[in-house]
Amino acid sequence: MRERKQSRFLLFVLAFGCFNFVSPLYAQEIQITGPLAGAPAVRRMRMYRVMRVNVVPGIGYTLQDEFSRSLFVGLEANFHFLDWLGIGIWAGYAAALINTDLTSRVMERGQVTSRNRFSLPDREQFDKQIGRIQWAVSAHLIFIPLRGKLSLFQSVFVDTDLYVLGGAALFGIEERASTTIDESGCGERFDQAKCRESQLARAGRVAPTPMFGVGLSMYVNSWFGLTIEWRGFPFSWNPSGTDEAGPNGPFPDGKIDGTDSRTTFNHMVFGGLAFLLPPDLKISD
Amino acid sequence: MLTPQNNRQGREVEMQMIQCRLWLAFTIAIAGQVASPAFAQDMQFTLEETEQNRATSGEQAPSSTSPQRTTEAREEIYAVQQIYALRINRVELMPSIAISLNDPFVSHTGIGLAFNFWWTNVLAIGLNAIWYEGLETESDLSFQVRRSTRLSIPITQSQFGAYLNFTYVPIYGKFAMFNQFIFQYDAYVVGGVGVMRTRPIPVIDPDVRKFDYEFRVAFNLGLGLRVFITRWLAAFAELRNYMYLEQLENLNVALGEERINPSTWVQPSLSFINNVTAHVGLTLFLPPEFQYRLPR
Repeated sequence: MRERKQSRFLLFVLAFGCFNFVSPLYAQEIQITGPLAGAPAVRRMRMYRVMRVNVVPGIGYTLQDEFSRSLFVGLEANFHFLDWLGIGIWAGYAAALINTDLTSRVMERGQVTSRNRFSLPDREQFDKQIGRIQWAVSAHLIFIPLRGKLSLFQSVFVDTDLYVLGGAALFGIEERASTTIDESGCGERFDQAKCRESQLARAGRVAPTPMFGVGLSMYVNSWFGLTIEWRGFPFSWNPSGTDEAGPNGPFPDGKIDGTDSRTTFNHMVFGGLAFLLPPDLKISD
Repeated sequence: MLTPQNNRQGREVEMQMIQCRLWLAFTIAIAGQVASPAFAQDMQFTLEETEQNRATSGEQAPSSTSPQRTTEAREEIYAVQQIYALRINRVELMPSIAISLNDPFVSHTGIGLAFNFWWTNVLAIGLNAIWYEGLETESDLSFQVRRSTRLSIPITQSQFGAYLNFTYVPIYGKFAMFNQFIFQYDAYVVGGVGVMRTRPIPVIDPDVRKFDYEFRVAFNLGLGLRVFITRWLAAFAELRNYMYLEQLENLNVALGEERINPSTWVQPSLSFINNVTAHVGLTLFLPPEFQYRLPR
């Protein structure tokens, strides 16, 4: 009887052992097939944008300028119909205008002769004749194709999305005022004071331009994040304030006007703090 | 004393013991048969097999396992997800277009090719080269500034650059597109040392001065982002600063016989140049297929 009991006990232990030993087999098979097969790509995703407004006060800085850089303070506001599509406006004001190294070099080492004094009446005043970007406003469509997380050294994780935007912008530009070589006193009847005065005359205008950009938003919590974006906005202007071309005759045509303008590819980086309203966000299924 | 009754009881006990032993042997044999597939843990699975099996798992696939267990298991997730595209022991080829960003006078456009060998999943050693000659363009700005302000800016042109680099991947993850498609990406830091072959473009005294290309020791440091399209093909964008000491044209023209002396054509001291370049291109991982040491 004892032996029978021992045998049954051994059978039970063996069967239990086999059950436990065999059970990973199922897991193994599931592992091969993938337990999330057929599941949506993302579950319970925090949707930071859908039916929300984000307001982004920030600072921008123009890049690759030839003569003058503009440091912008700006405000952007976007409203999103979907988590991946929205509309927005942006406005910026150039709080600081900074000379490039090239401008400084011209001011230090440029040479004024009878042949070029219409373009450069006084080298030390060159920074007063160059074109400057003063302000800008834009309206854009914002498209958010990519959404994910950033992990830095596997220690800091932030929800992130990448967006592109495109629209139209108006740029307020200040350039050297139109003049002719005779009116300015820089020609044959040279009047130094009048010629130098013409260098300081300014004219403002508004340049319409397409604007496009790409940016990254990183969300600290449901209502606050950081954004950094790049914007490109090509337009035609006369950034040097010099006589470069004429409509018909050979250079110089003795006029500083719109024909001296050339198209430059202007761009800037803009970074800011994003405040999202309402503060609560939706979570997907 | 053995009686016939005792003898019969003894045989019955003996038979029962034999039956038990047979049961034990049978059970062990069955257990051995059933358990043996568990050693599949050590088997190698190709990506195709894994993907095929995963694709069919959403259906009620015929299986030797109980459907109930399969349903329960679907609620599980992996403790550690496999990396979408392993880099370790693979070679990476990266053709690209290089566009300089910070030189308003000369656009140093080039065609680049990089070769990396990944000896870990996050660390690679490689070579990259950029060919510039014939692709660079001098902007109108340089000429217009000379004409309007009588100020000559010394400019240079490059022939090619070649570098030995190390690449490190501190960041990797994935993006979802429209909550539907998943794109894997990684961000990397790259840096190295090499040579550039450059020469000044004569603008101060172009009638007399002619320059030949010369080698410069150069360093580079950059950041990049790689987005995987498949397990062997990715698109990448990279911002890299190529730094070197450049010999610029002398702004002063020597008088008399010295004007034709080549030693007076260049500036006495070297200038530190930052050539910030954007690379955009594709990256191909070879071999295109790879195997995980262990399946999921």
